[in-house]
Formats: sequence, C-alpha cells, structure tokens
Amino acid sequence: MPNTPNIAIVGAGLIGRVVAVSLSESHKVTLFDRDDRQGSLSAAHLAAAMLAPLAESADSSLSVMQMGQRSLELWPGVLEKLQKPVFFQQNGSLILAYEQDYGNLVDFGHRIKGEMGKDYSSLTPLQLEELEPELAQQPHTFQHILWLPEEGQLDNRELLESLASTLEQRNVVWHQNTEVSIENRQVVYDGERRSFDWVIDCRGLGAKDQILQTGTEHGKHKLRGVRGEVVRLYAPEVNLNRPVRLMHPRYPIYIAPKADHRFVVGATQIETEDQRQPTVRSALELLSACFSVHKGFAEAEILEIKSGLRPAFEDNEPKIRVDGNLIQVNGLFRHGYLLAPAVAEQCIALIDTALPKPPVFEHLIEFTENSHD
Amino acid sequence: MTSDTLNIYGIQLDSRLLIGSALYPSPDVMQQSIQASGAQVVTLSLSRQNPEANGGASFWEMIKSLGLHLLPNTAGCHSVTEAVNMAKMSRELFQTDWVKLELVGDDYNLQPDPIELVKATEILLNDGFKVLPYCTDDLVIARHLVELGCEVIMPWGSPIGTGKGLLNPYALQAIRDRFPEVTLIVDSGIGKPSHATQALEMGVDAILLNTAVAQAQNPVMMATAFARAIEAGRLAYQSGLISERSTAKPSTPTLDKPFWHQVNYG
Repeated sequence: MPNTPNIAIVGAGLIGRVVAVSLSESHKVTLFDRDDRQGSLSAAHLAAAMLAPLAESADSSLSVMQMGQRSLELWPGVLEKLQKPVFFQQNGSLILAYEQDYGNLVDFGHRIKGEMGKDYSSLTPLQLEELEPELAQQPHTFQHILWLPEEGQLDNRELLESLASTLEQRNVVWHQNTEVSIENRQVVYDGERRSFDWVIDCRGLGAKDQILQTGTEHGKHKLRGVRGEVVRLYAPEVNLNRPVRLMHPRYPIYIAPKADHRFVVGATQIETEDQRQPTVRSALELLSACFSVHKGFAEAEILEIKSGLRPAFEDNEPKIRVDGNLIQVNGLFRHGYLLAPAVAEQCIALIDTALPKPPVFEHLIEFTENSHD
Repeated sequence: MTSDTLNIYGIQLDSRLLIGSALYPSPDVMQQSIQASGAQVVTLSLSRQNPEANGGASFWEMIKSLGLHLLPNTAGCHSVTEAVNMAKMSRELFQTDWVKLELVGDDYNLQPDPIELVKATEILLNDGFKVLPYCTDDLVIARHLVELGCEVIMPWGSPIGTGKGLLNPYALQAIRDRFPEVTLIVDSGIGKPSHATQALEMGVDAILLNTAVAQAQNPVMMATAFARAIEAGRLAYQSGLISERSTAKPSTPTLDKPFWHQVNYG
C-alpha cells in the first residue's frame, strides 16, 4: 500500500478497535495502548453493551438518539467483517416499573424522543406474558410496562475479542501494555517519537490531561469520569428473551441476557472518579433488582462484580475534535456501544474523503483552527 | 421597593430559591438550569462519591465554578454519628460551615428522623456549624430546633421526590405564625411552580428543590418558571392577600343597574 496514509490509533478500547478494523482494510494502521489485549482497563470491557437509542434519549439529545439509530443500522455490517461470531440481538427491550416508581415511568415516557403507539407502546401484563413468559409466573407481576421494539444489544467481550483477532489476522501492529502519549501530534512511546499522516486519539479517560489542555473557554471539553458498577451473573434458572430495564429513582438498571444464561446487570451511575471496587450499597441495588424481577436469580452464580469510569464531557455527549492531522474522539459516556459505529464512520470519513458522506450530526465534529501544542 | 432579602445566618440573598445539583441529564444542563433559576445557594451531596479520596472532585469543580453559596447535605445518613462525620468532611472539602442536615428515619419515603435530627443539630451547632435542618412539619420539633439555636428550619412540603406539593398547609402556617423571626424554607415535595407560589404566599421565606427542575422535560425552562413563581408568591405575600369570602361580591357598583338586571330580582 505505497500511497495510502500511515495512521496511528492511540487507545485500543472499543472506538480504537472499531476504527482500526475499518481503516486497516485499506490503510497501514498502528495501534498503541497502555491496556492489554482484552481491554481490561477500558469502559468497553465493563459495559452491558445495550443498543437502546430510544430509551437513552430520555436523558440525551436528539442527535445522540439519531447516532444510536444509525449505529443499529451499521452494526450488522461491522460484525460481518469480523473473524469470530459475536452475539447480537435486536429483539426490543422492556421497561418495567414498580408501583412506587410509576411516576418515574410516566416521566420517562414524556422524556424519550419517540411517539407512543409508533416507536413504543405500553403493554398489559397479558401481553408481557407473551414476550417473557417467565416474568408472568413470578410472585410479583408488573402492571406498568413499556415496550420498545427496536432496541438491541450485543456481547461486549465477544466483540472486543473478535475485533482483536481480526486485527491480528490482518497483521496490524499493536503495541499493547505500552505507556503512550501524544505530543505535537506525534506519538511518544518507549522513548521513541514518531510522526504519522494521521493520529487518532481514542484513549477515553486516558486522555484526560491532554483534553483539558486543549479545552475551550466554555469548559465544555473538560473530561471527567462517571463511575459505574456492573454485575455479571450465570443464572441457568432464568430465561429472558431480551433486556429488561427497571425504573429506579436515580439511574436505570438493565438486566441484559447474553448467550448461555449469562446476564449483565448494571449499571450504577455516580458522579465520582472513585476507583474502588463496587460498594455494598451498589451491589445490593443491582442484585436486589435482579431478584425482585425474577426469583430464579436467587441461586445465580456471581461471575464478576466490577467498577469502572466512563469518559464524559460536561454535556455527556461525544465529540470528535480535529486539530490538523490529529483527531480526538472522546466523551462517549454511557453510550460506547450505542454510538461506536456511527462515530467511527465519521472519523473514517475525515480521512478517506473519497468515501460517500455519512449523515451529519449536530455538534459532533469540531475543527480547531489554531493548535495548542 | 425596599430591599427584600432572604436571611441565612446573617447572609442576605436576593433569590428565594435554593436548588439541588442531582438528577440532571448532564452537568451542562445542571449548570444552565441553576443559572436560569437565579438561585444563589446550591445543595450538593457527598454520599456515594468516596469523599475521603476526593472522588467527586471533577463534579464539584463544575458546581463551584458557578460561584454560588454551597450548601452540602448529609443525604443518605441514618445515624447521628454518620451525619456529624459527613458534615465535618463537607466543611473541610467546601470551606463552609453551612450544612443541610438530613437524617433518614424511614428508607421507604426518606422521612426525616426528627429525634435523631435534634440530637445531631445540637452537636453541630456546638461545633460552630450553621445548621439548616430538614425536618417534618411538626410544630414541636420545629420549636426544639429553634430553641437549640437554629436560625433556619426546613420542613418538608411532602416526602422527597414525590412532587405532591404542600400536603399540610395548616402545619406549615402554624410554624410560620409561631416563629416569625426564623427563616422558614420548604424543602422537598415541590412538584410544580404553583406549589412554590402557594408556600411563598403563606409567608414561607424560600423554597429548596431539585427533582421538579432536574427531571422536567426542559429543566432550564422549568428553572425559569420556578424563579418567576417564587417571585410572584413573595410579591403576593408582601402585597397583602384579600381574605376569602363565601359569597360573590361584584367588583363594580350595582346601584345604577335596572332592578330587573339584579341577581336577586324576583
């Protein structure tokens, strides 16, 4: 590939990998990451990987919802190119509320950016039984139910693994467990300093100090971590066909069924950069949510309980900042999987200008005129 | 008009709205809403943020950047010891001796525990804190708090987050009438701007709220609505409300009406 640009991708979490897989089809790509092959330190490793643009629109902009819908269209094409199969489902999601949280459900219905009867509907307990028979057999049956038929989910760890093996198959150079920084739009690692035609910064919170340096006067580009705690369960006695979201006064709790009776339950959302292991209170909230929805969770095995930080800007929306040949992608917050393919598509279009133009999303891309080296 | 200010332990404020910093869709919307509300006091919570390790620093920085008075709360504390410790930690972190003292007595509706509240209030006042206690609308509890030296008391309108407004206006009026010199703030349960207006019309000095703005479909616009409602209620209180009457009274004289047009004809 003599005339194709030489591209560095710094940060091999979800966005870094998705961009790398796409670009490495026709470009020379080098990946740098302080993390390991599994992406153990990344928010992507922890996430429940919900693809729920409508539900998430309760607390995010129309633009984020549209990017999420675009991603839902793009995911199957991304997965098709990968080495190994990845669990992906677009089977809708259910929103359930207890009597005392009914007000929250009503407000949620008002805040989501969809049309009742068209994009979502409310279900009777009898209709719930058709979709999720086991929920109807529980001692407590839900009376307040919303049905969002377009929502989906995937298995995040299968995806990270499959993206990794695809990159390896293509012989992409990947510097793992390597401390790396970006200075003067050059990549600095192992005492070396290298220039590339393009440098794409996908480090998430790892870029916090650098993003701060280049922040605007409004401070909108201040990056912060928002804590989340997630439980992974193996529950052979539970059969759910789709993710269930339980209304909670402070944050939504998802119970997302993956393959083989594995469930991802999460996540808390706390405004702190606390990096301790999960707290008792959070564990109680998540586990009691499961047990209250389905008694079959009582004997479930706790495979993992883990905490992490989501990278977020002050408006909780993603940004792509272009500064010469440096592209910074960050702030995907709780929406990494929801937005990854759409955000990657925008990134790639900045490099491959010959490609057809992707849809335009408000406030996503910003060009910096003067660099702040 | 002469200056009409809200007195919080000697600090005079123009705004009669105190606003919370939780439950907004994003910190950006939070900042815009707080600005739109005109509030000069922002409450914030340390609970769950691991304050020992300065875990919430990024978030607190955003609140501090608004340049308003900070009112740390002790939300989530169940015992006197817990609440006192959290108050001390807040004082150190935020360099303020103000504290919204909140002691949960019932986990189901987060009803304050009045007995433990009185105990914690005494400890904190003796330690130099300026305590703003979140209490129920019980007159006798209010009296205990005032006797201990509280210059501000904050009874609920209804339980936290319910948005039911003033469930017991009679009890609030009784507190107002018995303690005219105390700064009386209705904290929690305010769902609509009209609830806030109602409280201010009764002579309540200020409103503290969070959910009604943060969870509105347009929080920034709702913050403006509350600012205006509170201003309206205060103006109404100062103007002197007319008393209610059980029969209609025409506002234009009826002497010159022909007798067959008069209501009681026939």
